[in-house]
Amino acid sequence: MLFLKFDRSNLHNFDWTLLAIVLSICAIGILNIYSAGYSYDALERQSPFYIKQIQWILLGLIAMIITFSIDYRFLAKGAYVIYCIAIALLMLVHIFGYTMHGSQRWLSIGGLAFQPSEVMKLSIILVLARYFEDHKSNQPYKLRELIVPALIIMLPFLLILKQPDLGTALIIVLISASIIFFIGVNWKSFLIASSGTLLSAPIVWHFLKDYQKDRLIIFFNPERDPLGAGYHIIQSMIAVGSGGLWGKGFLNGTQTQLKFLPEQQTDFVFSVFAEEWGFIGGFVLIILFMSLVFWSLKIALHARDLSGTVIALGIVCLFSWQVFINIGMVLGVLPVVGIPLPFLSYGGSAMLSFMAAIGLLMNINAHRFILHR
Amino acid sequence: MENRFTVLNVPETPEFRQKFKIVVTVLLIIFSLLLIRLWYLQIIKVQEMREKSESNAIRYRKIQSLRGVITDRNGDILADNLPSFDVVYMPGIAKNHEQLIQRLQILYNRKNLEIDLSQQFGKTMRPYLPVKLEKNVGMEKVAVVEANSVNLPGLYIDVSPVRLYPKKEMTASLLGYIGEVGKDDLENGESEYSLGDITGKYGVEKVLDPYLRGRSGAELVEVNVHEKQMQNLGRIEAVPGYNTVLTIDTRLQEAAWLGLNGKAGAVVALDPRDGTILAMVSAPSFDPHLFNAGISAGQWKNLLNNPLSPMTNRVVSGQYPPGSTYKLIVAAAALEEGIITPQTKFFCDGTFTMGNRTFRCWKKHGHGQIELHRAIVESCDVYFYNVGKMLGVDKIAKYANLFGLGKETGINFPNEKSGLIPTQQWKLERLKQPWHPGETISLAIGQGYNLLTPLQLANAYASFANGGTVWQPHLIKRVETAEGRIIKKFEPVKTATIPLSKKTFELLRSALWGVVNEQGGTGRAAMVPNADVCGKTGTAQVVGLPQDPKARRLKKISAFHEDHALFVCFAPRDNPEIVIAIVAENAGHGGAVAAPIARKMMEIYFNIQESDIRPQVANTAETGR
Repeated sequence: MLFLKFDRSNLHNFDWTLLAIVLSICAIGILNIYSAGYSYDALERQSPFYIKQIQWILLGLIAMIITFSIDYRFLAKGAYVIYCIAIALLMLVHIFGYTMHGSQRWLSIGGLAFQPSEVMKLSIILVLARYFEDHKSNQPYKLRELIVPALIIMLPFLLILKQPDLGTALIIVLISASIIFFIGVNWKSFLIASSGTLLSAPIVWHFLKDYQKDRLIIFFNPERDPLGAGYHIIQSMIAVGSGGLWGKGFLNGTQTQLKFLPEQQTDFVFSVFAEEWGFIGGFVLIILFMSLVFWSLKIALHARDLSGTVIALGIVCLFSWQVFINIGMVLGVLPVVGIPLPFLSYGGSAMLSFMAAIGLLMNINAHRFILHR
Repeated sequence: MENRFTVLNVPETPEFRQKFKIVVTVLLIIFSLLLIRLWYLQIIKVQEMREKSESNAIRYRKIQSLRGVITDRNGDILADNLPSFDVVYMPGIAKNHEQLIQRLQILYNRKNLEIDLSQQFGKTMRPYLPVKLEKNVGMEKVAVVEANSVNLPGLYIDVSPVRLYPKKEMTASLLGYIGEVGKDDLENGESEYSLGDITGKYGVEKVLDPYLRGRSGAELVEVNVHEKQMQNLGRIEAVPGYNTVLTIDTRLQEAAWLGLNGKAGAVVALDPRDGTILAMVSAPSFDPHLFNAGISAGQWKNLLNNPLSPMTNRVVSGQYPPGSTYKLIVAAAALEEGIITPQTKFFCDGTFTMGNRTFRCWKKHGHGQIELHRAIVESCDVYFYNVGKMLGVDKIAKYANLFGLGKETGINFPNEKSGLIPTQQWKLERLKQPWHPGETISLAIGQGYNLLTPLQLANAYASFANGGTVWQPHLIKRVETAEGRIIKKFEPVKTATIPLSKKTFELLRSALWGVVNEQGGTGRAAMVPNADVCGKTGTAQVVGLPQDPKARRLKKISAFHEDHALFVCFAPRDNPEIVIAIVAENAGHGGAVAAPIARKMMEIYFNIQESDIRPQVANTAETGR
C-alpha cells in the first residue's frame, strides 16, 4: 500500500515547467488542426477535428494525473502485468479489431476507436525498466542475458507488424534498442544480435503477405512507389518550402486548403504548420520539442533509482524518435512511415499515451528526493 | 570502448554522466538535422517551391489494369476489354466554368448539358483531381474535344478499358457486372482497393475478382497548362488480370436463353459426373454494358424495382416449390423405408380425402388402379398422396436432405439461397404451430412450404443420375495467365453420398425414362431419338387456386399467379452426362412449356440435327404436373 499512498509533498514538486511546455505544444496543435480541417465548403466543415482534439487533450490530462499519482515504482512492479494486458489487447485487435485504411489497428470501446499499440509503447518502457532493475549488473550485458528482453520486444513487434503498422513497430524496436544501448551491451553481443536479426529477416519475410511485402519494399526503397508515398512527399515538401520565412498565414496555406496534402490532420500535420507559419513557426515548434526532450532528460539524470532513469530515458527516446521520424518524413529526408507527431497530430490513443508518459515523468521528478524505505 | 558502456547501478557516477553526454550529443545532432533541413526547404528552396505550389503541375494518374478475359470451356469469349474514350475535366485548370459549359454545349450541339461543372468543382475541392464527365463517348465527341482543346482548358480525352460482353443479356446474370469501388467498400477495410479501382460487383466478375482485376499502375507526371504531359516523374506499369476459363458451354447457354424466349425463369445444365455447370441462364436479365458508361440513378432504380428482378440470378437465388419433380424424392423415401414395393397399387379416382379436406389429382377422372412406375410416368397425384400420408413429413425431409436439398449446394456464387425442406420441428420453431397431417399430403407432390433453387433441383437429380454422389456444383474451370500458364485449377468436390439401394436406383431410373419415352408419359416433349432422356415434369402452384379450370377462370388469375412450369432431366439413361433443370415462371405446365427447352438443349448436346424426325408429341401428350 505504500506505493498507492498519495504524498502531499508531490504537489510541491509538481513540474510546472514540463506542463507548460506540453500545453504550449497542444495549443499549437489545436490551432493547426483547426486550419487543417478548415474547408471553404460548408458541408465539409461539419467534422470539427479540433473539437475532438480538445476533448482528447482533456482526457489526456486525466491520464496524466493518474500516472502522476501512482508511484512509478509501483507501476514498475506491475510492469509484467501491464505488459500482458497490452499483449492481450494487441491479440484482441487481430480478432475483433476493425480496419481503417487497410490496417487492422483499432479496438472499439464504447464507440471510441482505440489503438492498443499505443499502450504498448509505454508498457515496453516499463517492462524493460523492471527487467534491468531486477537484473543489475556491473558488466555490460552479454547476449545470453538479453535473450529474455529480446523476446519481450519481439512479441509486440511482430503483433504490431502484422496489423500492419510498420511505424509503431519500428518505434517499439527503436525505443527498446536505445534503452539497451544506454544500459550497456558488450560489443560482441551487439554484433551477434544484429547479424542474427539480419539473418532472421528472410524467415519473417516468408510469412508476410504480398501486400505487406510491397509496403516493406516501398518503405526501404521509396523510389519504388513514386506515386503513393512519393506523391505525398513531393506535395509535403512543396507545402513546407513554399511557406518561406514567415509562412502564408493562418488558414492561408494553399497546399493545405486545396487538400493537396495527404493525412493533413494526422501524419502530415507538420507540413500544414510549416506552410502557414513558415520557418519562424517551424523553428519555434522544434525548439519546443527540444525543450521537452532535454527537460525530460534532466529528469532521467536525477531520478533516484535505475528504474526511474530507464523509464524517463525511454520516454525521452519515445518523444525524440517520434518527432525525428515524423518531421524527417514530412521534410522528405526519411521514408514515409505513418507515425504521429506527439501532441500535434490528431488522434486519441496517441494523445492519451503521450500524456500518460508526461505524467510518468512528473512522477519520477516528484520522487527524486523522497526516501520512502 | 567497453568501459564507456558499463552498467549503471548507482546513478550519477562519472560513467553515468558520460553516457548522458552521449545522449545529449545525439539529440542535438537529430534536432539540428531537422532545423537545417527546414532551413534548406523554406529559406534556400523557397522560390522553387513557391512556383511549384502556384502552378501545382504535378499530377498523379492512375493506370487502370486490363481485366482478365473470361471464356467458356471451348474458348469462346464471354467477357473482354475494349478501349473507352472518356471526357475528363480538371476543375483547377478551367478558370471560367460557365464559359466552358457554353462552349461545350455549342460544340456538342446540345442544349442542356447534364453535368454542372461548378457543382463538381465545389463538391470535390480538389481542383487537380480529374473528374470523369462522360464515359465511353463516341468518336465524334472525341474529335470535337481534341480539335478544340485550346478553347476548352481543363477538358481532355482519357482512354481507359471498358468491359465487353459479346453475349450481352444471355450471360449477364452469370457473369455479373463491374463498377468502381464504392466508398463503403473502402471503409469496410478492402485494403487491396483504392478509390477509382474497378471491381466485380456480382456473379463471376465478383467471385473471381481477385484473379481478374490485376493490379492498377500509376504515374506521376509534370504537366503544362493544357494538361499535356511534360515530364514523367515515375511510373508503375499496371499488371493485367488473369484470364478465366468457365465450365459453361456457350451453345447450351444460348439454347437455354432462346428456349425461355422472353419468359421469366431459370435454366441450369450440369455434368452429373463431376458437378461442372454447362449452362446457367436466368431471365429476364440486364444489359451489362449499362455499367460501362456509369449507370444513371434512374436506370439503376429501374433495374432494382423491376418486379421481375432482372438483377437476381434465379438459378442460385430463386426459390420455387418443386411440384411433381419432388416425387422422385418421395418415391425413393417410400421404397427405402419399405412403405411400398414396386407392385403396391393405389386406386385413383381423381380425388383423395383426408378429414374434411379433398385433394385432387391433376387428371380429373383419375388414373384408376395404378402402381409406382405408371404413377411416376403419368405423374399421378393421388398415388403420392397415399404414399405421403404413410411416410410422414419428417421421413420425406430426411431423404430430401440426403439429396442435398434444404441447404446451399456450396457453389462459389454470391447470394446462394438454401431453399427450405420443412419438418415438424421446423414448423413448431418457426411458425409456432404444430404440423397438420394434411400438409404432408400436398408436400408429397411438391407443394407447400418446401422450396428449391433450380440449382438444387438439378444437383439432386444429378446425384440420382450418377448413382448417389452429391457433387458441389462449380462453374470455374481454371485461371491462367495470358500466355496460358495455369494459376489455379478448380477440382470437383464431392460433398456426400446418397445411401440408396441399387434396386431403388434402377426402378426409379426406368420410371423417369418412361416419363419421356413411354406412351402417356408427361415429359414426351423432351424425347430425343437415341439419347434416352430421363426426366420429370412439374407444375408448381404459386398460390392456392382451384384445380378446376372453370373455377380458375372465374377467379381472374393475374399473370403472376399462374403456375410455374418445371422440368428436370438427364441423359443418356445409362451413363448420364448431362442434367438439365428448367423453371419457367407463371408459364403453365412443365411438360408443355419446360420440356421442349430441354429437348433443344439435349439435341445440341448430342449433336442431333434440327432436321431429324421429331416426334410430334408435345401437342397431344397429356401435359401433367
